Amino acid sequence: MSLSSQLPLLLEFARRDLWEKYSGSSLGAIWSVIFPLVTVFIFLIIFANIMGVRLPGTTNVYSYGIYLVAGIIPWMTFSSVVMRSSTVYLDKKHIISKIHVDLNSFPLYIAISESMIFGITFGIVFAFFFVIGYEFSMVLLMMPIIFMAQQLLAYALGSILGILVIFLRDLRETVSVVFQLWFWLTPIVYVAEILPTTVERIMVFNPAFWFVDSYHQIISYGQLPDPLFLGLLFGFGFVLLLLKQWMMQRLERDIRDFI
Amino acid sequence: MITVEGVSKRFKIYSSPADRLREIFFRQPYHREFDALKNISFTVGPGETLGIVGENGAGKSTLLKILSGILIPDTGSVSVSGKVTGLLELGTGFNPEISGLENIFMNGIFLGMSRGEIEAKKDTIIEFAELGDFINEPLKTYSSGMMMRLGFAIAIHADPECFLVDEALSVGDAYFQQKCMRAIKEFKAGGGSIVFVSHDPNAIKTLCDYAILLENGEIATIGKPKEVVDFYHGIILKKSHQGDLEVQVDQRGGPGSDLLSNVTTGEVEVISLSVINSAGDEVDAVESDDTIVIRIRVKSHRYLDNPHYGIMIRNNLGVSVFETNTYCMGISTEPLSPDWIAVIEYEMAIPLSPGHYSISVGVANRGWGYGSFEEYIHLVHDKKILTVTVKPDDIRYSGVFNMHPKARVIQERSGVVR
Repeated sequence: MSLSSQLPLLLEFARRDLWEKYSGSSLGAIWSVIFPLVTVFIFLIIFANIMGVRLPGTTNVYSYGIYLVAGIIPWMTFSSVVMRSSTVYLDKKHIISKIHVDLNSFPLYIAISESMIFGITFGIVFAFFFVIGYEFSMVLLMMPIIFMAQQLLAYALGSILGILVIFLRDLRETVSVVFQLWFWLTPIVYVAEILPTTVERIMVFNPAFWFVDSYHQIISYGQLPDPLFLGLLFGFGFVLLLLKQWMMQRLERDIRDFI
Repeated sequence: MITVEGVSKRFKIYSSPADRLREIFFRQPYHREFDALKNISFTVGPGETLGIVGENGAGKSTLLKILSGILIPDTGSVSVSGKVTGLLELGTGFNPEISGLENIFMNGIFLGMSRGEIEAKKDTIIEFAELGDFINEPLKTYSSGMMMRLGFAIAIHADPECFLVDEALSVGDAYFQQKCMRAIKEFKAGGGSIVFVSHDPNAIKTLCDYAILLENGEIATIGKPKEVVDFYHGIILKKSHQGDLEVQVDQRGGPGSDLLSNVTTGEVEVISLSVINSAGDEVDAVESDDTIVIRIRVKSHRYLDNPHYGIMIRNNLGVSVFETNTYCMGISTEPLSPDWIAVIEYEMAIPLSPGHYSISVGVANRGWGYGSFEEYIHLVHDKKILTVTVKPDDIRYSGVFNMHPKARVIQERSGVVR
């Protein structure tokens, strides 16, 4: 099936994903955005206001808040896409075992609906930035490219985990534990410079650092992202995508049998 | 058009799903195997209907799942032209939390319709399903019959070229089943291909062009619906039979071109069956409404302590129009000793509509319950073909038989004053 014939299905899935999760509640899909925003503001208030953290080398009251937001929203999208994709085949068992649907479309619709949440959340955040007098720079135009690379990685990784979880059910819990650790192992609430040099050097091998640092560069420092990181993101994402394709070819029959 | 060639499906049974990965890494089998389908081939052309019968676990559902693309066969190929939809299981892909209307959209998109297409057809679908105001209620408030109506309505309106019908259809009430049957016939007339799985022998006989009996994942027999269903019926009788000698199902050519499936232990023989008209002559054709005597002569090779004798009259499609036996009629019979011949006479009127009918004979031993027997010794199908001709002074009617109505027409003044 070609992508164009699948597009209505993907969009419908994504639309349902945004609206139906909260069907029956009066605020509906607005909840999809309230959750990330609340998380952002909790971190802002605790670290920037209560603990009075400032970004090293700046005196701006908002500098740390901006840094935090620049890293945490992409991280939340990344972890949502990967974690939700890792369980999507089990969650959508009732559909997969009854109707013929391309298995790839499930992680794909998650990536689409999380992209929408990402866009709306950043829209609100940028409006807030405007109010506090943030200077918008041209490098922000790099954002969609970083986001695409991030989503490629998240989609591929999520799909691979989704396939594996069918065979190794323990993996589901493992993934959420690993993501807890991964969050704190990535310079999101802190800056990479405070790490010991050895750790800072190892950080280059952390795929989450590749995109988190890129957002930090363009949003907090007004600089272009490290081309190496962008290259690594696309390269690694592409390798994982090929691996996913191979696994899907090898295991699709078994997936359908097991579900 | 559905073409299935050499399809086999083997389920590997693992004690845990992780064993499947272990297998890939260590290249050693960690499973038991179960052959769900073995070398299945058939074609269903445009406007054709294939019926599938078989016991539970024979592979019917697996086959439908492969046809609809939910499961992938191990070997062989399945090619289906156009879109496949159907009524496989209740609530297929429905979301119980959202309304019927929203489910129409969701389900329609699953079936490959665009939003615009669904928008254009949704009124027809709602009207067909006859759900009224319920269409705006969440699906969890629906009865199973309502769910089936909605599922069927969407599936048949999704412009399929191939339609699969499972036993889910039987959930609907008699009225809606009729409506579904009409829709299926229309679909067939429009050139669609249908695969129909049912436990209802008459539905298979009347609706299908040919049929397959699946047994342990294999095609046990393939042919005319009547032949296949009779053979399947024989196998069921064989299972219910509790006597010492095993019952054999024997398929052979009959008086017509059809293959007949006779069920017998070989202990009993039907020596003759004759139809005698009111003038006392043996005949092959009678006028509708004539009174006839069906005389059957049965010989047994062993002692039967409580034998009963039955007849079955079936139309040209093999659908039973009337059947009974001496046990069900409350007639007590004497034991039958070897080398004695029992002569059974059924005297009855034949108010059947004109056509060809067949008479089948059954012999069983020790009746119990409503109409069951401990031993099903002998069933011989279509022992005689009886032609029923038009009675010249009869009323004109159509249907199965003449119910001899008395009709009156009177007029009443309407209560409305003009």
